[in-house]
Amino acid sequence: MRKPFGYEPIIQKEDLSKVQRKKVQKASNWQSVLLRIWRLIDQQRGLLITVMTLVLISSALALIGPLMIGNMIDHFIIPKKVDGLSMQIGLLLLVYAGFSLSTYFQNYWMVGIAQQTVYRLRTQLFGHLQKLPIRFFDKRQHGELMSRVTNDIENVSQTLNSSLIQVFSSVLTLVGTVSIMLYLSPLLTLLTMIIVPLMFIAMRWITRRTGILFKEQQRAIGELNGMIEETVSGQRVVKAFSQEQNVMEEFAKKSERLRTAGFWAQTYSGFIPKVMNTLNNMSFAIVAGVGGLLAVTGYGGVTVGTIVIFSEYARQFTRPLNDLANQFNTVLSAIAGAERVFAIMDEPVEKDEATKRIETLHGDVEFRNVSFGYEEEAIIKNLSFHVKSGETAAFVGATGAGKTTIMQLLSRFYEIDSGQILLDGIPINELPRHTVRSQMAFVLQDPFLFEATVRENIRYGRLDATNEEVEEAAKKANAHSFICKLSNGYDTVLTAGGEEISQGQKQLLSIARALVADPTLLLLDEATSSIDTVTELAIQEALERLMEGRTSFVIAHRLNTIRQADKIFVLADGELLESGSHEELLKRKGVFYGMLNNEE
Amino acid sequence: MKTVFRYALPYKWPMFIAILLMLLELSVELIQPLLIGRIIDEGIMKEDLNTVVIWGSVMMALAFVALFSGVINSYFAAHAAQSFGYDLRQALFQRVQTFSLAAFLRFPTSSLITRLTSDVTLAQNALFMGLRIMARAPLMVLGSLIMAFVVSPKLAVFLLIGAPFLAVFLVVMARKGVRLFGLVQRRLDGVNQLVQENLQAVRLIKAYLRGVFETDRFSTAARALKKDSVHAMRLMELILPVLLFIMNVSFMVVLWFGADEVRNSNMPVGDIVAIVNYTMRMTSAFSMFSFLIVIFSRAKASSDRMEELLVADGDLEKLAIADNLHQGAVSVRFEHVSFRYAGTTEDVLRDVSFEVPAGEKLVIMGATGSGKSTMLQLLPRMFTATEGTVWVNGKNIADWPLDTLRNLIGYVPQQSMLFTGSIANNLSWGKPNATANEMEEAAKKAQIHSSIMDFTGGYETRVGQRGVNLSGGQKQRLSIARALIRKPSLLILDDSTSALDVKTESSLWDALQEEDTTMLIVTQKIQTAQIADAILLLSDGKIVGYGTHEELLQTSSFYREIAESQQNGGVA
Repeated sequence: MRKPFGYEPIIQKEDLSKVQRKKVQKASNWQSVLLRIWRLIDQQRGLLITVMTLVLISSALALIGPLMIGNMIDHFIIPKKVDGLSMQIGLLLLVYAGFSLSTYFQNYWMVGIAQQTVYRLRTQLFGHLQKLPIRFFDKRQHGELMSRVTNDIENVSQTLNSSLIQVFSSVLTLVGTVSIMLYLSPLLTLLTMIIVPLMFIAMRWITRRTGILFKEQQRAIGELNGMIEETVSGQRVVKAFSQEQNVMEEFAKKSERLRTAGFWAQTYSGFIPKVMNTLNNMSFAIVAGVGGLLAVTGYGGVTVGTIVIFSEYARQFTRPLNDLANQFNTVLSAIAGAERVFAIMDEPVEKDEATKRIETLHGDVEFRNVSFGYEEEAIIKNLSFHVKSGETAAFVGATGAGKTTIMQLLSRFYEIDSGQILLDGIPINELPRHTVRSQMAFVLQDPFLFEATVRENIRYGRLDATNEEVEEAAKKANAHSFICKLSNGYDTVLTAGGEEISQGQKQLLSIARALVADPTLLLLDEATSSIDTVTELAIQEALERLMEGRTSFVIAHRLNTIRQADKIFVLADGELLESGSHEELLKRKGVFYGMLNNEE
Repeated sequence: MKTVFRYALPYKWPMFIAILLMLLELSVELIQPLLIGRIIDEGIMKEDLNTVVIWGSVMMALAFVALFSGVINSYFAAHAAQSFGYDLRQALFQRVQTFSLAAFLRFPTSSLITRLTSDVTLAQNALFMGLRIMARAPLMVLGSLIMAFVVSPKLAVFLLIGAPFLAVFLVVMARKGVRLFGLVQRRLDGVNQLVQENLQAVRLIKAYLRGVFETDRFSTAARALKKDSVHAMRLMELILPVLLFIMNVSFMVVLWFGADEVRNSNMPVGDIVAIVNYTMRMTSAFSMFSFLIVIFSRAKASSDRMEELLVADGDLEKLAIADNLHQGAVSVRFEHVSFRYAGTTEDVLRDVSFEVPAGEKLVIMGATGSGKSTMLQLLPRMFTATEGTVWVNGKNIADWPLDTLRNLIGYVPQQSMLFTGSIANNLSWGKPNATANEMEEAAKKAQIHSSIMDFTGGYETRVGQRGVNLSGGQKQRLSIARALIRKPSLLILDDSTSALDVKTESSLWDALQEEDTTMLIVTQKIQTAQIADAILLLSDGKIVGYGTHEELLQTSSFYREIAESQQNGGVA
């Protein structure tokens, strides 16, 4: 059991003063977040106006009901009048029916508006994620990003459902009540207003804290999400290394952070209605005390009757204020979620300053003095080479030599630091990314399969491929026979943790996927590393046929698979050591020759 | 729901205090109208300022009592709710950690994540709200009803007309709510899963220009979530208007008969006004009911999902603790082992028998999908053999304590699977509290030390999720170092040198030569096979050859075929 009082204070004095100092800046930030949400809501203005009209109607009906009952008691029940009483009751029933209907339909449509807004926000966030550069994803934990699409947006969703109607009807009630109060006695109204600044101070004290705490809470849940996703995805390794206990402890730490943030956020939020209630009582005491004094002295035209009625309204006055205060707090929590969503949506997308347009590529690739590093240290150093259209280029070298990086640069996953990559003689950054990638097919180092059928996974290479084409590709990739053995053949659904197929079979499927794509440029990064060499030989033929007439980049450790390459580039530490055909390199008796001999 | 809310039990005292304070607050609220009445009647009406001041001060004092108890209630309610949530998360995560792999695989990652975050939050909020307002609404209704009965039982009975109908209605709505909100949570799983897939496959999706395609797929999932959320919430929005209408109809009936009573002079007008007042209070308390039903049906739906995890049958493992029990190489024996994955119809391993004496190296080769990885996974008991027995050091592995067994094994999986954190963090998975020297030693053997030193951060260099910023070979070697640091008695290498060049790999084998460990190595490379004491050939889950390199070249056509496939050019 966790002990109470055992919570670390997570707001420091400095934090609060920082908030104060940054107030101007922060306020504008708030406003911009709210404004962005509002713009999304506003896209359904017609419905929104309908909802607001219904709120107006239901508020009016809510006022009429009690008035009618009062009227009925005064004019029918007390004078013991029978005529027309049934009529009155019938009317009242109509009013109540109208109230129920307008309440239902305003909420009915508001749910629609809110969820449509949330849907828009979610798909926009997802759409934006699709446009972000690879570099963005390198530094992020998957689970942390997932939390933004789910937990953070759910936070916004919950607020949108109720807040808008609540705020609007509270404001309506407030305006109505204050008008009546002013009409009854401006002086007493002024007295009642004494609590408004007090309320303001209290609210500021609370929300300055909850604002920070809600953010902390969303951050903590994001980190927890990240941790769960990562460890659960790697559960096999956790088990193999008996890390369960350690992982649990790590989880406990992150979970405790969430608990602490959630605890303070809930505690402070819980103060709001209590404080409001107290202020409400204070205002009554003031009205009664000072009003009484005024009535006794006869000053300002205050009578006993006024005080009695007025005190009723003064009580009604604080109700919507209380609602508004609670809604304000809920909105803060939504903002904490929305801010994290917008933070991603403000990340710069992959730039495309394409100036040239071409229909098809021939596949002539040239690297000219290219240098590149993921961080400060250079991975590719002043690299130059030329692969002509239709040639097959193989890259060999020790691990970490930069082979995969070359492929990543060619597909523009990353931007080079200096030098030029030319495609058909055009600098690659002057071509639209879309054009470049649409002419390429990849088999990546880590084969990835979606949670979908085998057929859909192969078809991912070209979405309009027919079933025959899919099977044809699978046959060429030597995958057909094992696919047929799966429980549902091509319609077997593959699952993420699935045991149905082995790593090598995954590679066969991703080769089939590339075969279906039918590209100008083919990039094979260790495409067959987990496949046994006998099977490899069998698909080699298919691959060679595929590479014919296309420019192909191949990374392989088994040198026999690259014998047919037109050019072999030997790399070390991001630099080109030697290049040439298989035979040329053998004759030269250089590094490549050494590599070949190494194994005999 | 019971299983889940059992985790709130340790907090019965904070909850008790919270509820007590809530009741205190409620009674202050109920007294307030009386006080106000007194101030008006005895003070203002009689123009007696003294009374106003006295009762006014009493009221203020009570208001502060209410404030005080409200604030403390907030504290204890938040404490109970958050700690309940924390314990629940801990229990769920422990459950996930102790699931056997077979049980674990039944739940998709994305769904586990939603259950541990979103579902916990929903249950936690229900508890918090419960502690703050739960008793309020029913008490308010009950109190008002009792008061109405005190005033006039005859009329108050009419307030009960709607009660049976209301009860049925609320139960039906709550049931439907549970089902619909359960569906909403499942949709959330779907959204989660798509995002996860997209993050894992980000390069593939960009390479094949499938951004729009994926966004469409996501839109479909998000739309389904929207549709079901809207459906569930709209249904819930029905509660309040219906409740109010039923209450108002009974109210009309009361008025109608009340008017009769007054006419027949059976009842003073004041009573009817009082009943009207109490009815109005009941009605306003009812509006809280609809709110409560939403919260509770969501909590129930989420609890059901969490319960699925908490009571899921299937083997549980002990919560293992990493330890080092180096005891020298162990022997391994497979005896007529067959294996089939749950829910499939075909055996992956068929009657496999072999033996590896302590300290020897066995290389396993075979076609893609022949069962090599599956076979290795039986050793750390990731899965249990369907038939036959696996022996380690002459002891049936089923009889080994699981963590002792696993702590003997250095497992290098086919996919390196590194974790976010520093390189040192990742290495210390193999051995808790490993010293810098031990790390360096393991890294040197795994041929990765010099690469690490080339990184600007050295051993403190941060590794991204799944080692995204490392090359394939670096990942493999780091993963080997992670296994070596524990000085394993049994080293399992599942095709984990595929991205290494020949030179690096042969240095690795040289370095491993002195290790006091038994090795099981899956490889595709015939050259690697030559370092082995014996080679096992698998085809379709059956052993089709066993012997040394030379023997197999003589006896096995399958082996010769593999050798031939690598002859021209070899492996770099």
